[in-house]
Amino acid sequence: MQRISFSGPQARALWQPRFERLGEVALAVELEMVRQGRIPATLVWTGYDDIEALTERVRAIGLEAKPVKASLGYAADWPIEASIDEPKRLLDYAFLIGPAPYDVSIAEPAADDLEQTAMRSGYPACCAKSWAGHLRGGGCDPLANLLARDDRAAMPAHFALAVLGVGPVRHAPCSVHCSATRDCSRAFLDLGRELGFIDEIVWLEEIAGWATEASLVNGIAEITTAAFRCTWLSDEGASPHRRLRHTLAAPRPVKRKAASVELVGGTEILVELGTGFEAAGFASPFAMRSRFSAIVWEQTAALRRAASAVHVGCGDGLLLELIAQTRPKLKLYGLEEDAALAGLARQRLGASLPVLGGASLEALATLARLVPEGVDLAFVDPERLGSHEALAAIRVIAKSVIVIGTDRSLRRFKDMDTYAATMGLALLPGRAARVSAAIAAMDRLH
Amino acid sequence: MTVEVRPLGDKCNIKCRYCYQEGIRTAGNVPTRYDLDAIMATLDRLAEPFSLFGGEIMLTRRPDLERLMQLGFDRHGGVGMQTNGTLIEERDLELFRKYRVRIGISIDGPGPLNDARWAGSLPATRRATARIEAVIETLCREGMPPNVIVTLNRMNAAPDRLGVLCEWIGFLGSLGVRKLRLHLLEQDETEGGEGLPLTAQENLAALRRLRRLEQELPSVEFDIFAEMAAMLRGDDARTSCVFHACDPYATRAVVGVESDGRLGNCGRTNKDGVTHLRAGREAFDRQLSLYRTPQADGGCQGCRFFLACKGNCPGTAIGGDWRMRSIDCPVWFGLFEDIETELQANGETAISRSQQRSDLEAKMIAAWSIGDNPTLHSLLQQAEAP
Repeated sequence: MQRISFSGPQARALWQPRFERLGEVALAVELEMVRQGRIPATLVWTGYDDIEALTERVRAIGLEAKPVKASLGYAADWPIEASIDEPKRLLDYAFLIGPAPYDVSIAEPAADDLEQTAMRSGYPACCAKSWAGHLRGGGCDPLANLLARDDRAAMPAHFALAVLGVGPVRHAPCSVHCSATRDCSRAFLDLGRELGFIDEIVWLEEIAGWATEASLVNGIAEITTAAFRCTWLSDEGASPHRRLRHTLAAPRPVKRKAASVELVGGTEILVELGTGFEAAGFASPFAMRSRFSAIVWEQTAALRRAASAVHVGCGDGLLLELIAQTRPKLKLYGLEEDAALAGLARQRLGASLPVLGGASLEALATLARLVPEGVDLAFVDPERLGSHEALAAIRVIAKSVIVIGTDRSLRRFKDMDTYAATMGLALLPGRAARVSAAIAAMDRLH
Repeated sequence: MTVEVRPLGDKCNIKCRYCYQEGIRTAGNVPTRYDLDAIMATLDRLAEPFSLFGGEIMLTRRPDLERLMQLGFDRHGGVGMQTNGTLIEERDLELFRKYRVRIGISIDGPGPLNDARWAGSLPATRRATARIEAVIETLCREGMPPNVIVTLNRMNAAPDRLGVLCEWIGFLGSLGVRKLRLHLLEQDETEGGEGLPLTAQENLAALRRLRRLEQELPSVEFDIFAEMAAMLRGDDARTSCVFHACDPYATRAVVGVESDGRLGNCGRTNKDGVTHLRAGREAFDRQLSLYRTPQADGGCQGCRFFLACKGNCPGTAIGGDWRMRSIDCPVWFGLFEDIETELQANGETAISRSQQRSDLEAKMIAAWSIGDNPTLHSLLQQAEAP
């Protein structure tokens, strides 16, 4: 049993009611074809609850509905007036509909005359022959089989969508080139128009222009159009993998080229992640990177307002690099006493970002000469700074001093406020679990 | 069933090179606005706990996001949220706490290990990664440790980088992260992911290494290994969607509530840039087909792990065709073998080695044929009943 999944709400809003309507129209056109004698009979599937309405409807136009025998491959082999258990409502029932009284050959189609049976149901001779041959050969789903053929010709939408039973093709065509099927299709459309189904025939003509993609893979058929995709499990072609792609239903996404990213090995990665983490007060390079990232994240607003910043004790320059990634136009400075780390910082940050070496106070004096107007922000770990004078000098140069918490300091002092208080500092208010904060006031420094 | 609320569909602020939603975005099928009342009406109707999802959910206007969080809190005691973390700000922390938001964050590693989660340029990518790292640490420090999703790819799990990834996961454990979800990279129609997938052997080696790591880090749990062991025990009550006979036309495990309140499918099988709506009913065509299709033709015929694996996620199917088994089959097969061996060594019977396996398979196939999808657990209970 096929299932439909629409490609979007607009497609569903437009086409779901149209398909329902087209199903009704297809039945009406086909019954009229039988009534007019254009085809000897037709096969109609219906749910249990609709059986009575169907039989009455066909009787009203001088036709007769007869349940189809199991020889035609269906399950309903009981008289319609019989009492039926509730689970049987789940089934669909096939009825052969022809002029009353039935011709014997229609009423009792012989299993060994499949071709004639198909022709009596409106199949063109070529399609009937193909259909019968397919069933005799052990096939069961001629339409799915058609999808699987290695025929590169485009599948007409009406052929592929015969599975939905909405017309104008109401049988399994013998090939995608079948001219007899096209004739049948045309006759269906003409009769529909004669019967007054003007809008519905316009819809079918629109469908005829649809590009379809149809395939059968491991026994699962799938048809895709711009409006929907449809699938059903078929016993046909359970293997091997056969796939036929017809013109695409929708343009496939343009393939997007990604920028190449150079791959370096694990050792270089660890350097890039951060070195000198122990000296900086962290348990691992991951901890240092994570904490510095958190500091930049917490200080987003301050960094947005600032035009310049310095990291006193900048180590290998990681915090400055993270700040530069967030605020590329910020003028940044680094101060680092450890010559090796200062060298790594220069490597990481490039020549345009000054990293001043030497002892802290000296470096601060150099910075003051370099930037006489001062810097907006200074990032400082007071514990590592170690002297009241250095912090006082920083406060002279920087308009705002941000205290940063390392693993070492936060392990020892639990939180930023306790840490700052121990250092004789008062912080601006904020979350208890923060890892950085601006100094509000400084009493003393241990 | 996981209900994923997606007000802005697949809209995202970054462009992960391997993202399975990229086809949808490239095709322009991303909503620009949403109807919050319709979304909330659908959530009312579904009456199921839900997760805030995307695309990137944090692109949603904060007042609207808060309404959704509040609904989740009021009805279900909390709400899940899957995010790339780059747009979370300090002010959001209070919302997360107030409405008991369970956060999942996607990141493949620190700094350069996360470069496949591309943000347009290398500096932008690194900036985004730093923000994610910051958010993970902050959430942990705030007592709301997130779950972390890591997609294995060449950037983070190539043989010479895997050690770094493992050390970083150890660090996450020390921060307080308890659960990690491991994904294999999904290949799709875009070329963005070219060069990123690991080979099957590399994936298997990476997962085996991570499995050993899990035993070394008792505080950290990778969902996938426990789930695979549970599936082999026939205990499938709480395992994730990839083991649950997914129907790509009506994904059972994942239901999306889209921008206009309509129900959508999990987007993993949308390979052509179209977000198809749910079909009217579920079916198990894929599993029925895989069971009878020889392995050489992309099926699972004869595989002793079929009941546990079921061909895995259709979004990872060979050639992007949901009707085939997962392209990662050799990886899952290898891991199932490892776990099976350990279960057997511990005196447990894996269903893959059980004498009841063929009977269980027959019952499952019969059930799927009529549209039913019983749990393995229920079938085992029936089989063991006197």
